[in-house]
Amino acid sequence: MLRLDIFKGIIKKEFKELVKDKLYLIFIFVVPVTVMVLLGYGLNLDVKHIPIAFLDYERSKLSRSYIDAYINSEYFSIYTLVQDYIEAENLIKSGKIRALIVIPSDFSRKLYKREKTEVQIFIDGTYPTRAEIIKGYVTTINMLFNQDLLKNKKIVNQIFSEPPIEVEIRAWYNPALESKNFIMPGMLVTTLCFYPVLLGCLIIVREKEFGSIFNYYVSPAKPWEIIFGKALPYIFVCFLTYLLLFLISVLIFKAKFIGNFFILSLSSILYLFCTVGLGIFISTITKTQITAMLLAFITTVIPTYLYSGFLYPVSSMELSGQIVSRFIPATYFLEVVRGIYLKGLPLTYFIKNILSLFVYASVIYAITILNFKKKI
Amino acid sequence: MRVIILIKKEFLQLFRDKILIIVLIYAFTVVIYTGGKGISLEVKRFPVIIQDQSKSSLSREFINKIRPPYFKILAFVDSDKEIVEWLDKGKASLVLVIPPDFERKVKKNNAKIQIIIDGTMSMTATIAISYLSNIAYGYSLEIVEDKFYKRPYKLPQIEDKVRLLFNPNNLSSWFMSLLELFNMITMVSLLLSSAALIREKEYGTIEQLLITPVKSWEVFLAKILPTVLTISTLSLFSLFFMVKGIFKVPVKGNIFLFYIVTCFYIFTMSSLGITIATFVNNLSQAMMVILVILVPMLMISGAWSPPEAMHPVIKCISFLSPMRYFLDFGYGVLLKGNGLYYVWKDIIGILLIGFSLLIISVFRFHQTFAK
Repeated sequence: MLRLDIFKGIIKKEFKELVKDKLYLIFIFVVPVTVMVLLGYGLNLDVKHIPIAFLDYERSKLSRSYIDAYINSEYFSIYTLVQDYIEAENLIKSGKIRALIVIPSDFSRKLYKREKTEVQIFIDGTYPTRAEIIKGYVTTINMLFNQDLLKNKKIVNQIFSEPPIEVEIRAWYNPALESKNFIMPGMLVTTLCFYPVLLGCLIIVREKEFGSIFNYYVSPAKPWEIIFGKALPYIFVCFLTYLLLFLISVLIFKAKFIGNFFILSLSSILYLFCTVGLGIFISTITKTQITAMLLAFITTVIPTYLYSGFLYPVSSMELSGQIVSRFIPATYFLEVVRGIYLKGLPLTYFIKNILSLFVYASVIYAITILNFKKKI
Repeated sequence: MRVIILIKKEFLQLFRDKILIIVLIYAFTVVIYTGGKGISLEVKRFPVIIQDQSKSSLSREFINKIRPPYFKILAFVDSDKEIVEWLDKGKASLVLVIPPDFERKVKKNNAKIQIIIDGTMSMTATIAISYLSNIAYGYSLEIVEDKFYKRPYKLPQIEDKVRLLFNPNNLSSWFMSLLELFNMITMVSLLLSSAALIREKEYGTIEQLLITPVKSWEVFLAKILPTVLTISTLSLFSLFFMVKGIFKVPVKGNIFLFYIVTCFYIFTMSSLGITIATFVNNLSQAMMVILVILVPMLMISGAWSPPEAMHPVIKCISFLSPMRYFLDFGYGVLLKGNGLYYVWKDIIGILLIGFSLLIISVFRFHQTFAK
């Protein structure tokens, strides 16, 4: 039996409390927008203009043109030509350069004799992704230079105009491989993951700390009415935030969007049920606000970025990472959002993800309501 | 003497909540473990499907070179329709199309193979492309050497001997376990200190404290010191047992230096927490302010986006982030083995921000309460 008046009453009370604190209400909308804008401009994963130094023991025409091959690309910018290893070590330790390329003193002599020569490349490995990308750039530039060598009449007797196999690359969905096209939809998902959890994590524990929770314990309201009554206003507020964030991603950052807005909105409501529910769940298992807040921050903010597939695909994670990723609702939703934003896919492609989110929501609310019931 | 009693009170309040202690221990053990173990930053097992229209020995030989750990061949497909489906569903991220005339064209030196890549994750896609281009070029060279020089002959080529410094095998676990440690230090010290002050504000016990002869700086000190002590102990524990013990990170630098500066850093983050607490009325508000400061701080202090590629405005903002200095310091000392000579600027940055914030919060506190 649905007792609408009680249910409505709880929702109304929760709304009033939300609106009463004007400063908080402003924060609720300003904070996610600011986070989105700051990260939108700040989280630039395109590795470009990497400061690099050369230690050229030969100083010949050929070694100079080898150096130019690096400098002329937009990926590297020359920091300096160093004289010895000690100077280079200093620069790399203080983080002034990210890579050092050492050209041996017999560089061109060997090449003119049609032999192989070696250049040493030292890359600062502190930040593995960056190191990996720098390594990729270096090998590509080196490869192109090698191809040119084979065309050089002075060096080889038989000219190879082109290598026998050429690779033609086409990137679908994001032809220019711009990082904003994968960051923006990702940011929508991650922000809507930790932010509702943080909003929700204080709802019940606050009343526990101040003792007003007893009003609920003695009221005729059923646990599920209380939980949903408290969740719904927050889901509504978060949905408004979703609309704001969507507009920012499309209008300010001009992320590619070719999908169906209506489907995106519908599935995001389901997603917000999950994330607000997760917050309320944290709220029921903790005793003090500090603990609830700490737990919410630790279990959502960083894991959402790391494990959801936002930066790195879930497929390349190790087992323990993949297990953690299953506990984060963002993992399921991210595929949906990127699919809609960049691929313009219809809902039928995401049935599995939608179903997973639905199961997630059911489980989290069931546990929360049971947990709340026990106390009564 | 008064300060010691105040500190004792703060410690009591901190450890009263059992779940809080569990959460703290969780943060400095499990979080660091899963971060180091679970996340792999290299491209691994990149899902590939292949459309081999040539079905020749050359094409098979080429396909044989696409191997784990970088790539994982999921299927061979025949039609374009299947390709679209695999990519749309996101089950495969890269398609290799070998044209029917591959073998004939290779002999004529103008074969083309096509790579279709899912550009959704642009960063990973870039890395995967560079792996595959290298494989293709290596194979090209083999063919050239085979064809033109039957006898063992080498072509004039430059070999790039790449060596990664400070992390020779490019292990994600070294970077990730340390990053999670730095993240936890940042987050927990900010949250604990601000929550400790706000609780007093919310309960109104701050007024009781103020009518006693304690001075406001003593109140702050009592809030900050327990945080510094607790977190620095936890992080040292975590450094030895998790980072060094489990992930075998060869900690090169001076651990004592690291410990001292970590204490400074926790002090700075706590001051930030206290400053926030003096500006807001309740924990919900504080949480929103912390969120808007913390999330950008975690993401744009240099761990993810390289500072050289940053938007100039963001770069300026990042100079205000104490975490920027701490990351520089932490990785510098622990991985690179840097001494004071390299990191003194970072230490000054951390302390400068910390003391400025403390002064702001004392000032603000006087304005609101001690009128």
